[in-house]
Amino acid sequence: MTIATGQKEARRELQPGSSRLLRNIWEHRADYAYVLPAIVVMLIVIAYPIYYTIELSFFNTPPGLQLRDKNFIGLDNYTAILTSEVFWKVTWNTLIWTLGSTFISFVLGFATALALHRDFIGRGVLRAILIIPWVISAVAASYIWKWIYHSDFGIIGAVLVELGLADRPPNFIDSVGTVLPSLIVVNIWREFPFAMIMMMAGLQTVPDQLLRAAKVDGANAWQRFWHVTFPHLRNVSTVTILLLAVANFNSFIIPWIMTGGGPSNASHIWITHIYELAFGRQRWGVASAYSVLLFLILMTLGYFYVRALGGNERKDGSA
Amino acid sequence: MTRITLGGAVLRGAVSTALVASLMSAPALGAPPVDLSKWSPEYVRSIAGTQDFDTAGDCAKVTPLDYKGRLTFWYQGVFEGDPDLLRQYYKDFFATFRKTYPNIQLEEQALTYNDLLDKFRTALLGNAAPMAVRLQILGGTEFASKGYLQPLKPEDVGYSTEDFWPGALKAVTWDGVTYGIPTNNETMAFIWNADIFKRAGLDPDKPPATWDDVVKYSKQIHDKLGIAGYGLVARKNAGNTPYRFMPQLWAYGGGVFDEATANPTYKQIELDSPQSKAALQASYDMYVRDKSVPVSALTNQQADNQPLFLAGQLGMMISHPSDYNVMLDLQKKATGTDKDKAQTVIDNMRYGLIPTGPDGKRAVVFGGSNIHILKPEYVEGGKVDEPAAKAIICMWTSPEWSLKMAYAGSNPGNLNGFKTKWMKERLDNIKFLDVTTSMLPYGIPFPALPQSPEIMNIIVPDMLQNALTGAMTVDQAADDAAKKVKDLMGGGL
Repeated sequence: MTIATGQKEARRELQPGSSRLLRNIWEHRADYAYVLPAIVVMLIVIAYPIYYTIELSFFNTPPGLQLRDKNFIGLDNYTAILTSEVFWKVTWNTLIWTLGSTFISFVLGFATALALHRDFIGRGVLRAILIIPWVISAVAASYIWKWIYHSDFGIIGAVLVELGLADRPPNFIDSVGTVLPSLIVVNIWREFPFAMIMMMAGLQTVPDQLLRAAKVDGANAWQRFWHVTFPHLRNVSTVTILLLAVANFNSFIIPWIMTGGGPSNASHIWITHIYELAFGRQRWGVASAYSVLLFLILMTLGYFYVRALGGNERKDGSA
Repeated sequence: MTRITLGGAVLRGAVSTALVASLMSAPALGAPPVDLSKWSPEYVRSIAGTQDFDTAGDCAKVTPLDYKGRLTFWYQGVFEGDPDLLRQYYKDFFATFRKTYPNIQLEEQALTYNDLLDKFRTALLGNAAPMAVRLQILGGTEFASKGYLQPLKPEDVGYSTEDFWPGALKAVTWDGVTYGIPTNNETMAFIWNADIFKRAGLDPDKPPATWDDVVKYSKQIHDKLGIAGYGLVARKNAGNTPYRFMPQLWAYGGGVFDEATANPTYKQIELDSPQSKAALQASYDMYVRDKSVPVSALTNQQADNQPLFLAGQLGMMISHPSDYNVMLDLQKKATGTDKDKAQTVIDNMRYGLIPTGPDGKRAVVFGGSNIHILKPEYVEGGKVDEPAAKAIICMWTSPEWSLKMAYAGSNPGNLNGFKTKWMKERLDNIKFLDVTTSMLPYGIPFPALPQSPEIMNIIVPDMLQNALTGAMTVDQAADDAAKKVKDLMGGGL
């Protein structure tokens, strides 16, 4: 055996997996050809922007220059972000916004789903009405709520003053203390129907015979819920919470339209702050670094989402 | 002795008539410029309707009327706060352009003041900008300094540099080169409701003389009537905020830099000066101490103050002459008793000069818009149809259309617009126009720097919000803003 032949064989022994993979690809070449256009499109519209954003995050992009005149500054954008006061303020706002909106939307949606799971007259109509906030355009809803909250002429303030419960209309969105909770209420109003629908679908998978058996065994309503219903809903709950969390982390429309992140940055969350950095202040480099950090956080949430989905599928025996 | 024959008299009469007629219809290029040293409402009235212009004829010399081409064009168009009258003129302009240049395929896109900069900047990053763009006055220097715009001066479209306000041309000049042509220039005025003044125990025909008076009057109105006194606006990323706060800042002797001086150098930052802090303190006193202005000022724009004013819930505000027409439009939409209430407000609407500072200094933002041609490499398709772009620019900046497109809310960028018959008609139709034209000489342009949009749309409103929400003291807010400007000018992250 020559040295060259020996090396080849050694390489083959070292890479049994890769040759199997290549053979596999070759055998399924028609399948790959079918998905190739989709992969190419994804590479263009997803992979390249991600790559470019990561690249840009290592550059200084002075607002007085064109983007092509950017200069490499390594990790300075990340350092600047992590040491800036605004970052921590905006991160804190984002956490309150995401956790508050997600948790309350889920609890409210779940409670409503449980209430609507029972049979009563008008259930269908009520379901339809409760879905309205979710199907309404977020932009339209934001403008409507801006007027409802209006600090001088909002309907809530007018009713409170009319009933003698307040001397002057409460300040919902022009105060640093109340603006974020006020926006969270709007977000919950828009999102809880989604949680409701998901949980209603989940409730339909709970086997009736188990509930009846538990009742025969003397379990009260709470025990039936906690020991029978809830375990069946664990996976759909996880998926719902993760989807809500990702959507809330990525929220833009409600805070941007209603307050533009103000007053005094009190309702700036990550996405609105990134938008202002990029398009208002043209700090493309810093905005990209923010986006990369946000991407990592969302990928982590995405990982748990996929895991939760995988758990579902395994339980169903479908994977 | 000279004998005058009948034939000679007829001949001389015919010649002189022809001469006058030809002068009356002389192209803009040949017309004597408006004398800015004589500027006053009387002078404006005296020149209105004295000259006719042949727009199509003038523009045919720039781009032949049978020219065949294609043009993509974005512009800052009318928005919810504009009167219906202006909407009609915009429609008429594009219809007339298509009729005058039937072989130019025009693809225009209107954007609001607050959206245009964001969209235009994004398009430039992707080399997908339009061939020509009409931007707010703040934008010219930013894009010229970055090299996106082609040099373009009034002479390139058949006019003369003297036909435009020098301050307006400064806003389109970078490094000594002109990159655009002003379409309209404006200064706002002080508006008050005489009935509210009367009921609050103030002289209904006398506006506040100083900004300190504005603070006092606002408090008096609020205390006596329980309504908002002055229409403060402090929303971020909204052009309305600097247009209302900067006159106050300059009147107190402050500024972002030295932009309020005759020959600004933009070297020294003045936002943290005692004068600037005094101006900020006045806003703080109205919003926080006296609570005499709309609470919603931090999230509102001027468009939100208009219905407040019409509802008789606001005593004073700074705005355009067009607000009178806006009020008329809004009143038409009102129903029942609201209609009568609105009419009462309109009847009591008064316009005056913007108040002075403690030292008698009066100032107002010299606003407006400019029109530009992009360099081909930043345009979708990599080509710019220059003759087509010059055709629309010639038409928009003509005496006729620069007047008509600014009919209710602004003033013509081309000074010859003041000589047209439409100016004369406008002086009769648009109430209070005299006041805003009187404010023009007090106009101060925003700093002609690429950083100006960020300073005016973000840093200045942030300063106001930080002080008015109590997030910072007045001193801290001013110092913080000055530091941000310093960092920005230093190219910091």
